[in-house]
Amino acid sequence: MNTVLEVKDLCKTYIVNKRQNNVLRNVSFSVNEGEMVGVMGPSGSGKSTLLYTVSGMDKMTAGEVFFSGNNMSNLHQNELARMRLEDMGFIFQQMYMMKNLSVLDNIILPAVKSSKKKESNREIEQRGRELMKRLGIAEIANNDINEVSGGQLQRACICRSMINDPKIIFADEPTGSLNRTSSEEVMEELEKLNANGTTMMIVTHDVKVAAKCTRVLFIVDGNIKGEYNIGSEKNMRDRERSLNNWLMEMGW
Amino acid sequence: MYKRMILRDLKRKKSMNIILLIFVVLSAMFAASSVNNIMAVEGGLDHYFEEAGMADYYILSHKSNGKYSVEELLKNSENTKSYRKDDIILTSKDNFKHDGKKIMEYSNMSMVQPLSSSDFNFFDSDNKIVKEVEAGKMYITGAIAGKSDLQVGDKLILSIGAINMEFEFAGTLKDALFGSEMMGNPRMLVSDEDFGKITNDDYVKQYGMGSLYYIDTDYPSALESEIADAENVYFSSGNDTIKLCYFINTLVAAIILIIGIGLIAVSFAVLRFTIGFSIAEEFREIGVMKAVGLKNTSIRSLYLAKYFFIALVGAVIGYFLSIPFGKMLIESVSENMVLENRNSVMLGIFCCIAVVIIILFFSWNCTGKVKKLSPIDAVRSGQTGERFRKKSILHLGKTRLKSTAFLAINDVFSQPKQFAVIIFIFALCTVFVMVLSVTANTLCSKNLIGIMSLKESDVYYPDTQRAMEIMTGAKTERETEKEISDILARNNMPGTVYMEAWYKFPVTVNGKKYNMDFVKCRDTKMTEYIYTAGSPPMYQNEIALSEVMAEKLDIEIGDTLTINIDGKERDFILTALFQSVMQIGEIGRLYQTLEIPDRLITGTPAYQIDFDDDPDEKTIAVRVEKLKDIFQNKDIYDIREFIAQMTGVSDTVKSVRNLVLIISLIVIVLIAVLMERSFISKEKSEIALMKAIGFKNGSIMTQHTGRFLISIILAQIIAAALCVPLLKLLIDPVFSTMGATASIEYQFNALEQFFIYPLIITAAVVISTFLTAIYTRTIKASDTANIE
Repeated sequence: MNTVLEVKDLCKTYIVNKRQNNVLRNVSFSVNEGEMVGVMGPSGSGKSTLLYTVSGMDKMTAGEVFFSGNNMSNLHQNELARMRLEDMGFIFQQMYMMKNLSVLDNIILPAVKSSKKKESNREIEQRGRELMKRLGIAEIANNDINEVSGGQLQRACICRSMINDPKIIFADEPTGSLNRTSSEEVMEELEKLNANGTTMMIVTHDVKVAAKCTRVLFIVDGNIKGEYNIGSEKNMRDRERSLNNWLMEMGW
Repeated sequence: MYKRMILRDLKRKKSMNIILLIFVVLSAMFAASSVNNIMAVEGGLDHYFEEAGMADYYILSHKSNGKYSVEELLKNSENTKSYRKDDIILTSKDNFKHDGKKIMEYSNMSMVQPLSSSDFNFFDSDNKIVKEVEAGKMYITGAIAGKSDLQVGDKLILSIGAINMEFEFAGTLKDALFGSEMMGNPRMLVSDEDFGKITNDDYVKQYGMGSLYYIDTDYPSALESEIADAENVYFSSGNDTIKLCYFINTLVAAIILIIGIGLIAVSFAVLRFTIGFSIAEEFREIGVMKAVGLKNTSIRSLYLAKYFFIALVGAVIGYFLSIPFGKMLIESVSENMVLENRNSVMLGIFCCIAVVIIILFFSWNCTGKVKKLSPIDAVRSGQTGERFRKKSILHLGKTRLKSTAFLAINDVFSQPKQFAVIIFIFALCTVFVMVLSVTANTLCSKNLIGIMSLKESDVYYPDTQRAMEIMTGAKTERETEKEISDILARNNMPGTVYMEAWYKFPVTVNGKKYNMDFVKCRDTKMTEYIYTAGSPPMYQNEIALSEVMAEKLDIEIGDTLTINIDGKERDFILTALFQSVMQIGEIGRLYQTLEIPDRLITGTPAYQIDFDDDPDEKTIAVRVEKLKDIFQNKDIYDIREFIAQMTGVSDTVKSVRNLVLIISLIVIVLIAVLMERSFISKEKSEIALMKAIGFKNGSIMTQHTGRFLISIILAQIIAAALCVPLLKLLIDPVFSTMGATASIEYQFNALEQFFIYPLIITAAVVISTFLTAIYTRTIKASDTANIE
């Protein structure tokens, strides 16, 4: 199996009020193609920072991150931007979207911006509509973003993250702002995506969400304290139970 | 508690608060300086006339005695309450030399007089009344010294008759009577002692002496009728006409008024926008405050307190900045006028208080929405989820535009209110520059020659010396024309020389008498001039009148008027009307072959030269320079220069245009920078999101710059569309007061008005926005995790 993401001795340090804050300390791990990796840990442990750093959104202080074999620390900002646009997808806890665009336009914006596929805008729009249909939100295509529910908006964000057929999708608490029903719907969609071969890295507090992953990294004080392979257990309750047990061992 | 909340808010939202503070400063500065200037300009002329000790009517005449002398007529006049008289010496620029050269640049008659014989007040550059002139020194009124590069202390030689006296130039003075650009008759003020020496000369006694009468009357029209038969009158006029001569200052003042009003409109539009903009950002916090139980009035008063603090600080800074800013604006008008605003401090403070009150009103109005917000808005970031107003106008899937261009256009059309304010401000600034540019071009364009009652010629030579020789009877018109013509022939530039001769005759219509100016040219045909109504006069007993004069005399085409020419009453039939800016539009044209003695000529605008070989413009320009050397005179012009010199306002309008361009650029750049900065503040989350999904810094900066580029292009289209209507609305009345009552053919220079200036403004907007948009680089993709 190919490795999509390889992280070696990653460090991230913030200087706040002249005080050095080591958020990530020599973090190393890898994500293989088709995997769905969950990142868990207490608040302030560095989960989101890890996600933003390995995706090239934030600069690393030290270490190396290889994405599809390319050392990201050697890449220029513009190359990182192109990589995020064409090879990565992002889902955030807050369903950030462009306020002046309709839901559909928000979804297709990365594809219109990208030169990855030689498609006309009409073809891109068609693809966007099909994605929305797949995620069950076709009816809100022309709505403004403030006219739809949180669950619908997060599914639209998933569509946006998929529009350029990324090699990996990074999700930061994708269900954090949603109610239970919406959370389940969103996770179903992410599962389907993963089943279709999309690699995923999900930061979450929710055991239910993490239990859907193939592997979970537990991070404490900027270090990966442990790694848990949930395995191929089909029953969700069993997956959650075994994950909970492991988390308790980790001090969750 | 409130104090702590306000202080924390001021600190936390530093960028937006600083932007708001700058806008308050600008508003207070614009409002205080503009209102002060409006007050100074409005009624400024009346104040100036009062301070100068102006009378109601003025007559300038050559010295004469007898029944028809001005003095005799005034003594017997029923309409004269009282009069004062200045003895003067009539001179021309040829009587003065500086460093051995004739350098004093003016073409009208000048006057030498002592200061003390007049109760009339002259003012120095600090608007102080000059009380005395030392022996050996000479003050000069008007703009002559500046145009002639005369510096205080320079030596001037006055040569007249047998007199050759050296004077030290003591400075420039403001003269309410003759100091306007349009009158342009300089007065040289000398001591009593020096004046006595000059008047002892026999030549001066015989030819040079004149009198200037300041007459107090309640009935200027009746007085005009009474003195219509007076001899040797060079100039007679009432205050209304003198005021009209200040039309250039009035024009500049009007421009300043419009700029002032424009700036006030700009500042309040921006202020309203910024307050609304920043309060919209507070919805979430307002929701939280409501959620924890604060009352609506408490929340509103919290914001009012914050804006009051910003408004107060801004207004104080704005007031102090308004003083130099207002002075800079008013200086262009007060060059040859005494313009003072005695209430400036109070008025400035009043304006700043008004700005604070208006800000509080805007704040109160904008926070009105607080009442409608529920605590749930805190959770929803101010979006109630119940608004169904469509925001997105365009659709990405249906466009062929690049995503960055699409986003820029979509942003402009999705936030119409915000961008309408920006477009309005940009359009206002652009249209001011366009209108002034067209006006400046028109004032030196060939189009004006017709309304100057002149025919197009290759060269114009205002030779006051020769004109004076005709007026004093020393030479005839033909003799002077032949002199010039012979000089041209000797220098291989043969041509026809002629002049439009001016006369002043008493006119009787329906029993009423007037003293009117006429023009006649022996060498042109009546059909060569442009008329607005009727047919050109065909016989000696036919006449054409300017529309203003016909209206004054209350006659129409076909009516008869009686003119007293050299003591003989002659009837003329009015056959045509024309528009003219000469003599404030009050002029008549006599038939070319009508015999009038040369000694009755009162002046001429210039000798006109038409070269025999019909040269092109380049050759004419070369010949003009050659003629300047031959005649030792700088006052020789081609048609455009002559018009510019005659109107005398072209340079002033160009200066004002440049000033307006600079002010417009400053305003535009400030608006662009501050608006872009506030957009960045507001759109921080979107910028971070765009970066997160793979937009490069360059794309985001281009999108932000693109929005302003679209705004300025739209503004310029609006400005171009408004240019002609605004010219008609604002500038037509100015030309109308000069006598161009029908219409003016404006001189558009498409390259200048619709390309160069818009390009300069566009470049200023694009560069300033782009430089401000560089700030978006500081927002990181990872900020999506930290944005509220």
